[in-house]
Amino acid sequence: MSAAPEQVREEWGRFAAWRSQHRAAAASSWQKLVSRLVATVMVWLVVAISLALPSVLLLTLDNLRPLVPDLARPAQVSVMLGGQLDFAQAEALRRKIQDWTSVEDVTLIGRDEALTTFGEQTGLSQLLTSLDRNPLPHTLSVLPSMPRADEALSRLIEDLNALPEVERVMADNQWMARLNQILVAGERWGLALGGAMVLGAILALANTLYLAIAARREEILVVRLIGGSPAFIRRPFLYTGLYFGAGGGLLAGAMLWILTLWVAGPANALFLLYDSPGQLHGPGWRYPLVLIALGAALGLLASWMASVRYFSRLEAH
Amino acid sequence: MIEFERVSRRFGDQDALRNLNLTLERGEMAFLTGHSGAGKSTLLRLLLLLDRPSSGDIRVNGESTSNIRARKVPRYRRRFGVVFQDHRLLFDRSVHDNVALPLVMAGFSPTDTARRVRAALDKVGLLSHERANPAVLSGGEQQRVGIARAVVARPEFLIADEPTGNLDPKLSTEIMALFEAFNQVGVTVLVATHDLPLISRLRHRIIALQDGRLAGANTR
Repeated sequence: MSAAPEQVREEWGRFAAWRSQHRAAAASSWQKLVSRLVATVMVWLVVAISLALPSVLLLTLDNLRPLVPDLARPAQVSVMLGGQLDFAQAEALRRKIQDWTSVEDVTLIGRDEALTTFGEQTGLSQLLTSLDRNPLPHTLSVLPSMPRADEALSRLIEDLNALPEVERVMADNQWMARLNQILVAGERWGLALGGAMVLGAILALANTLYLAIAARREEILVVRLIGGSPAFIRRPFLYTGLYFGAGGGLLAGAMLWILTLWVAGPANALFLLYDSPGQLHGPGWRYPLVLIALGAALGLLASWMASVRYFSRLEAH
Repeated sequence: MIEFERVSRRFGDQDALRNLNLTLERGEMAFLTGHSGAGKSTLLRLLLLLDRPSSGDIRVNGESTSNIRARKVPRYRRRFGVVFQDHRLLFDRSVHDNVALPLVMAGFSPTDTARRVRAALDKVGLLSHERANPAVLSGGEQQRVGIARAVVARPEFLIADEPTGNLDPKLSTEIMALFEAFNQVGVTVLVATHDLPLISRLRHRIIALQDGRLAGANTR
């Protein structure tokens, strides 16, 4: 009994021992994965698809968002007044509406002013002067105090419509608010789908890892019997989970890139057709990086779950 | 020194060990015998903390094992080298890597590990098979690899459970000679076996178990 293990470990250094054990576990786990490459690639594909699908959805939303023109700009409501109203009556109405709490500001655009502007903008001034009377009504441009709240906007439009002086109410950029809501809904849908897919990936991984652990039952029993700590026994499986997850994340990132390159041609043409200066945004480096990190975390979590489950059953025997 | 003090182990309404008192001195070598079901396996399992006594206490070098928490159990087990009847080698790695396992667990450096593995393999006469897969070795050779693995970390105690169960008399004698050699350099050795003809020729204490108690003949 010249040297007890503890002493030797002290000499060599705990950290070095720990690092060496990690290196050995990392290497042996990797070799086991590579030696069963087909099975490994299949696991990577399962993880990659689970991660890539929601990512594609989120990436698509990222691309659609700039197409919603300036949502910060409030949704304006144009109120056409009855033709019989004169300017003074219109101004009185403007002041009345101005006092509503649901209204931020009201501008009166007189029919004459409107005709001049219309003429200038369309280059039809000559033609318009030949008209015997101005066909345009007085218009109030109403700026709602809560332009983003769809419900408040609808109520305001209703209230405006109820006024006897009002001929017609046009909320021309209400569709933007709607599109925005669709995007928000889409994002949530993407996150929910993503959550479900990620959960599926964790369960699939945990099951695969459970089988991988069960396949090494004999080794686990022997190591446990001769004094291997749970951490020592668990370590190779944590590495296996890490490789499964991170590899799947990397593959998902590659899938996003390939998809982007494939779709870029027609998508950019579409942008051009809609006179948008936009270009299709690829996943960049951020998406793959997040996917790899997410995959790695999932893999670790899954192998942790699998090993805890397996070892608790083992102890029960 | 290993002491069993009034140790009992019940399974349901069956007593595997009853009120067992037993002392194994430091540096002693002893054989544990008895029919199957006499309590040999239970005794070894209790000693390795694979199981806990229903009552009584097991002390190792004067320290009670009953309050060793689960977290400390692996470190406790590393004080024992264990040899199994079916040797339980891992066939997915070389002889060297099998023997190295306890050292890797304990955190020895790779150079230190390699040196000690070679020394242990040399002692059991298998140095030339270092790189071989244990599956290609004979039963006797496999058991010697198992012994090398048990002693490589220089444990205080060497525990063997039917180490010669699958071997012919000549190989069995060789294996027992190995245990004696380790005992001579100071290791406390406890060998569970029912190979009575073999152990009666060796001059060591025989601890006979019967129905979970010490049987009459407890000779030295």
